[in-house]
Amino acid sequence: MSADPWLVLLIGGLYSCAFYMMLRRSLTKTLFGLVLLSNAANLLIFVAAGVTIGRPALVPDGLQAPEGLVADPLAQAFILTAIVIGFGVLAFAVVLIRRAHEVLDVDDFDELKDAEQ
Amino acid sequence: MLLMLAVIIAGAVSAPWISRLAGGRGAFALVAVPVVALLLLGRMASGEAAEVLEAYTWVPGLDVAAAFRLDGLSLLMASLVLGIGVFIVAYAAKYLEGDERQPRFMATLLLFMAAMLGLVLADDVILLFIFWELTSLTSYLLIGFDHTQAKARQAALQGLVVTVAGGLCLLVGLIMFGEMAGSYRLSEWVLQGEMLISQPTSGWALLMVVLGCVTKSAQFPFHFWLPNAMAAPTPVSAYLHSATMVKAGVFLLARLYPTLGAHPGWQWLVPLGAFTAVFAAFMAFRSDEMKKVLAYTTVMALGTLTLLIGMGEAQAAVGFLLAHALYKGALFMLAGVITHETGAKALSGVGGMRRHLPWTWGAALFAAASAAGVMPWVGVIAKELLLESALGHGVWVVVAAVVSAGIVGGMLFTVALRPFIGAPRAPRAPEAIHEAGPWLLAGPVALAGLGLLLGLVPGLADQVLVPAARALGAVDPAALALWHGVNHAFVASLGSLAIAALVWWLWPRTLRWMGTAGWDRFGPERAYDASLGALGAVAVGVTAKLQSGLLRRYVAITLLSTIVLLLSTLLLRGDAVVWPQFSATISVPIVLAAGVLVLAVLAIRLVDALSVALILGAVGFGVSLLYLWFSAPDLAITQVMIETLTTILLVLILFRLPRMRRLSSPSQRMADMVLAIFGGGIVSLVLWQVMAAPSPVSISEWLIARSMPEGHGRNIVNVILVDFRALDTLGEIVVLALAAMGGYALLKSPPNTGERES
Amino acid sequence: MSLLVALPFLIPMVAGSVSLLAWPSRRAQRAIAVVGTAGQLIAAVVLLVVVWNDGIQVLAAGAWPAPYGITLATDLLSALMVLMTGITGFAAALYSLPTISSRMERNGYYPLMHMLLAGVAGVFLTTDLFNLYVWFEILLLASFALLAMGQERAQMAGALKYVVLNLFSSAMFLSALGLLYGLAGTLNMADLAVKLPALDDGGRVTLVSMLFMLAFSIKAASFPLFFWLPASYHTAPVAVSALFAGLLTKVGVYSLYRTFTLVFTEDVPWTHGWLQVSAGFTMVVGALGALAQTDIRRTFAFLHVSQIGYMLMGLALFTPIALAAGVFYFAHHIIMKSNLFFLSGVIYRLGGSYRRDELGGLWTARPWLSLVFLVPALSLCGIPPLSGFWGKLLIVRAGVDAGSGWLLAAVLVTSVLTLLAVMRIWADVFWKAAPQDRPVRRAPLPVMLWVVTVGLAAGTLWIGFTVEPLWALAERASAQLLDPSAYIEAVLSPELP
Repeated sequence: MSADPWLVLLIGGLYSCAFYMMLRRSLTKTLFGLVLLSNAANLLIFVAAGVTIGRPALVPDGLQAPEGLVADPLAQAFILTAIVIGFGVLAFAVVLIRRAHEVLDVDDFDELKDAEQ
Repeated sequence: MLLMLAVIIAGAVSAPWISRLAGGRGAFALVAVPVVALLLLGRMASGEAAEVLEAYTWVPGLDVAAAFRLDGLSLLMASLVLGIGVFIVAYAAKYLEGDERQPRFMATLLLFMAAMLGLVLADDVILLFIFWELTSLTSYLLIGFDHTQAKARQAALQGLVVTVAGGLCLLVGLIMFGEMAGSYRLSEWVLQGEMLISQPTSGWALLMVVLGCVTKSAQFPFHFWLPNAMAAPTPVSAYLHSATMVKAGVFLLARLYPTLGAHPGWQWLVPLGAFTAVFAAFMAFRSDEMKKVLAYTTVMALGTLTLLIGMGEAQAAVGFLLAHALYKGALFMLAGVITHETGAKALSGVGGMRRHLPWTWGAALFAAASAAGVMPWVGVIAKELLLESALGHGVWVVVAAVVSAGIVGGMLFTVALRPFIGAPRAPRAPEAIHEAGPWLLAGPVALAGLGLLLGLVPGLADQVLVPAARALGAVDPAALALWHGVNHAFVASLGSLAIAALVWWLWPRTLRWMGTAGWDRFGPERAYDASLGALGAVAVGVTAKLQSGLLRRYVAITLLSTIVLLLSTLLLRGDAVVWPQFSATISVPIVLAAGVLVLAVLAIRLVDALSVALILGAVGFGVSLLYLWFSAPDLAITQVMIETLTTILLVLILFRLPRMRRLSSPSQRMADMVLAIFGGGIVSLVLWQVMAAPSPVSISEWLIARSMPEGHGRNIVNVILVDFRALDTLGEIVVLALAAMGGYALLKSPPNTGERES
Repeated sequence: MSLLVALPFLIPMVAGSVSLLAWPSRRAQRAIAVVGTAGQLIAAVVLLVVVWNDGIQVLAAGAWPAPYGITLATDLLSALMVLMTGITGFAAALYSLPTISSRMERNGYYPLMHMLLAGVAGVFLTTDLFNLYVWFEILLLASFALLAMGQERAQMAGALKYVVLNLFSSAMFLSALGLLYGLAGTLNMADLAVKLPALDDGGRVTLVSMLFMLAFSIKAASFPLFFWLPASYHTAPVAVSALFAGLLTKVGVYSLYRTFTLVFTEDVPWTHGWLQVSAGFTMVVGALGALAQTDIRRTFAFLHVSQIGYMLMGLALFTPIALAAGVFYFAHHIIMKSNLFFLSGVIYRLGGSYRRDELGGLWTARPWLSLVFLVPALSLCGIPPLSGFWGKLLIVRAGVDAGSGWLLAAVLVTSVLTLLAVMRIWADVFWKAAPQDRPVRRAPLPVMLWVVTVGLAAGTLWIGFTVEPLWALAERASAQLLDPSAYIEAVLSPELP
């Protein structure tokens, strides 16, 4: 409970860092921004669903259901899916940027301006 | 009536093939198309009923039907469309004989005929609008007939833009009235005129409709497209841009007069029409090119018609409309003959052709006489009706009518006489000039002759004009007569003849001065060109600002939009903003959070890609520790694994990259930092609002309870992934597979457009 | 309960997997491409017929009831969109056969195309917001790969911008999902529709809905978030850009339609007011952008943006006729716009350029092709009686009924700008004489190009001349959107097998 405001601050900070890096001209930095943004969004889901200490969503041996409150397993499932999907997407983006460096021979988005004319 | 349309459309569709028959002479056979349609029209009109309604269901869900109405007005218009159409088709068959583009031309011309016929017969306003737009479109294709010439293309586009823009207004107006009336039938609107007029928005609706009509009928200040439309071949000018299409606007005004004529706004048509008439007459006076003169006199005639409909003078309007269609169609075709035979386009460039082109001259004189209102042509009846109507509406209307009619009469005599009198001169050698054949002359001779016949036997004209005037709401139109005795109208008529004579005398003397281009520096056409130019500049400017090609600007605008949307909602809607209270007690997660944040900030400061990749990995590990602390071991494990993989990938793929450079200026970096902090801040704030809300009853409780009994798993998160939400997991696998495929395709093959060489 | 609901994405998924297994054989991949897309089209037709006759169809994946498992459902809007996916996919597959380079074919072009189609169909069918996110990612990744495959300079630059902006959208979408789940404890849309009104949230749902609006608006390419579209559409191979033009933005607009009729209706004046503003600007700015172009594909891309505005206007006005007008516009637009992209490819084949100043003479050299081009082009301008005219008529009527003067003015201005932009293409590419150094090629066109372009043009004509069938469908779809009780009931209480 008491840590919540700090976590919210952290998430905002991570978003800020990600936004800042996405505003850069360098292809590589923009990519790093995306990595950070993906992490930040996952953490946001986690925190928004409410955090619990010391009660993982497991059914103890011999019982049919956990006793009392446990951490929200659905939110965790969402995040797990999102982590893996995010990895897939970012992996592709990494390859794309690598290839873009080879083909375009620049690391500056401003120099790709003319490609739109 | 559908049958008539079907005949013409069938003719249009088969025209390209028919035209090619008999060594390219097949086009002459197409004359049969309007003839057949005319016969059908005659059979339909010979019935007893004052009006014939014919309706077929089309789109019942939208209240749109293929509904037609044949009454006096539409009969008059349909007869003109088809009757003049017969001669035009014959004329065009000869005019473009041997031109490889003739098949397309004939098809388009017939398509136009169908559209125009549909327009005048339609009872459903949406149907009317459809035909309306089709006349604009076919007109576009015909004006641009000589399409390799930039001038023709520009003129075509100008006509299209002006008429379609007006058409859009018309559509809005028609829909407004349709929604007020609860019906889209003209025949039902007539019954609800008073109700429609009393609606609060009827003024707007009327304005929209009138805008549509005056653009189509080339009223000031939208007249300029019509003279330019003369880039079209002569049959088109004669048919579309004088006798038929340009009358569509006037026709619709006339159609709506019985419904909306009592609207106070209707009166504005009077000054509009009067001004257009005088202005156009003046413009005609300062033109030299035959077709330009004729085009401006057409604008004048349309202004006069608008004036008459504005005043509600039904009989004068239909009389004038008929007389004008006859003489103007004839004059245009004759001007085309003169150009065709002598090569001259300007009046000043040709003279003395009376021996070379005797029939042409005769027909021209007949038509001009009718136009100027000389006894005993039908034109004189029309003119006196006009002047008599004007007399009832104040002095300035009379002056406008007399002056404009006088100038136009003089100019039309100039067109009909000057090429034929004096010493022979023409661009082509006089010996090579000889009279055009019957195909070209049949139309003008017939139309000019008809002008005389109707003048001598006005009873014949009454046959169509009286029902037409009735359809316009005239209670008891008087029979036409050639001679009314010496009255005011007669005196005014004499006055206009005097002006005509003066114009005849003045024109050659003032042309050099009047015709100078200096006059064209102002006016609506310049405004059109200027606004088109400005539009282009605005388009380029706005697009260059927005679609700048700079990704950072795209991201910035997107981020800014995010901030604006969230902040405005946060401040203006819902509960007051809740602010977090920070406790001073230090705990493990707070330390972790601080550490992660410091690393993230460090990452944005560094310029070495490899170090940044490693630091980002560390950030990921920090996040996984947070997951672990807050009861999410599966998340923590996955995060560690994925983070390791990502870091390895980054390092492997990126390690050859050059050092990143600082590319942005310090001020740019500062601005970006402010924007980024704002963005992150708003995310925090929104998140806090959500966390401050009462916790909901989550569906996860159901999942927790059933994980073991029904899902047979102790790890609830895993059960959700593989069972309850297996579809998500399937999708996740697909994403990974796609990433692998896409990455493979990128890394394996060298660049190539992807397009097969043809 | 009907497996039929899943077929529109299962068929392309299977086709994609089989195609992947058949990697070494290009011929097999090409055959699978045709069969697979035809299969999806047939499934879509059957689905639409069933939904039309028997009402909303539901399938609970894994037999777990909604909202706990993932449930798929089709109402008329979904069915119509799936049908459009089928048509576009089939057309693109046929067009690909003679046009896609063998190198791309060998690098997994067809499997990627199948997966893109699966992702799009999934978006239209799911009732779960998180599942929607998963489908979005599938189609995004497939589109990334298809866009970048050629690896030319312009393609790489376009793909990079496209990827970054769409990943931003995805991250916002994901954030919005987390926030909404935190507020409501569920992400099933039908369940949300039931629970949200009962929630004492103090306007927080509206706040979160703005984040959804933003994420979907980026995908829909509306003002001021459309940048990725004109930056990328014109760079891909023609078959791909036609596929994109038909489908990619539609998933964004569809998601807005779905969520802002079913879920986020708490504060309509606010949310839909923003949508109105966006719609108006999208129309005008898109059309202005089109006027500034000389490249015909880029012109069409900007006009595409402009027309997203029309579709948004239908949702933003939020009346029965407006929504129906929007739905009608969807169908018309997909068929017309993908055809224009296909045709610009044909023009490139004949004239060797996409720039209208470098083209010319097609009206003389290729009269039939010119007529085929005129059908979608004039439809785009809203010339009657083609499909675009009815779309415009409906939107104007919706605007008149809603008394929304300034949106009507935007529609009028946009129409004129669109006319100018399209007719300039006609005048330059078709009417103007061909440049001396670039005569129109005389070689006959592959049959498939005729099949695709004439077929789609026939579709445009059919919509234009019959109107009633599509309108009736749109009207019923709109009624279902405005009264979602049947949808909610069908999703939340499917009879278990």
